[in-house]
Amino acid sequence: MLRRDPLADPAPLIKRVYAYAAYRLGDGPDAEDVTSETFERALRYRNSFDPKKGEPVAWLLGIAKRCVDGGWSKTEYATEDVDSADTTDLEEETIRRLTVSRAVSALDERDRELIALRYGADLTARQIAELLGARTNAIEVALHRALGRLRGILGADEAEAVRKPSASE
Amino acid sequence: MRYWRKRHEGLDLEAELRAGRPEPAPDFVHRLEARVRNDGRRSRAGSLRIAFVGALTAVMLLALASVGGVGYASSSAKDAAVSVKRVVTPKDVIKVLKRGPAIDQYKKPKAKKVKKAKKKGQGTRGRVRARTRPPFTG
Repeated sequence: MLRRDPLADPAPLIKRVYAYAAYRLGDGPDAEDVTSETFERALRYRNSFDPKKGEPVAWLLGIAKRCVDGGWSKTEYATEDVDSADTTDLEEETIRRLTVSRAVSALDERDRELIALRYGADLTARQIAELLGARTNAIEVALHRALGRLRGILGADEAEAVRKPSASE
Repeated sequence: MRYWRKRHEGLDLEAELRAGRPEPAPDFVHRLEARVRNDGRRSRAGSLRIAFVGALTAVMLLALASVGGVGYASSSAKDAAVSVKRVVTPKDVIKVLKRGPAIDQYKKPKAKKVKKAKKKGQGTRGRVRARTRPPFTG
């Protein structure tokens, strides 16, 4: 019987793995390194992929998670400073992305991982639960709390930004 | 932080996280995609080769089986094995296992009955008669 190739359509998988790595480590070369390493390992073990255990993306994210946990998580999260000068739409878009990225970087490791799996890799709560060996309900609750903390960080940033100009005046 | 100041009310953070999902550079995606596809092609070629060899073997076996070649080959192999065994095994160990008409024909001859020696003092009658008669020539 012919086996299904888990890497038959690599482009969308590369994007999802990269998004996961970037939410965990920051956008840039570290995320690229983790993505490359993930696919190298996947190529090496592509015959061991078992479709009964889950989707190819879940398999790849399991590998990516081990890559990040195995050493890259100690690297500094790559962020850029956000300057709130007068902005056009494109700049606003960029600022929005950087602000979200910076807020995610301020989360603890566990929350960042959940955000990365849910919104970076676009996994469902059930898939995340299978990957992390937890219950779906527990993952949903943890995600809700992580989003709450993220909102808190964004709110604190906003308050600080409001305070800064008034202090300089 | 102007963005957040502007849109703090009714902010859909989940949508923002999805929309602001980090994207890899197109060049990086193309390079990695090419690498994955090349490897896939190589491994597919390997498995195709194995499948071809398997199919060829099956076809050859089927063709042989259809003309009784398998039985012929197995009997040839058996004969060869027997011949080798005969050569290798020492002669004194060889035993005829099967019974056949030849065995009956070349049976061991029955041992002749040995005449008992006559006791002394029986007289000379028999000996004298044997001496006087001419030999029987049939």
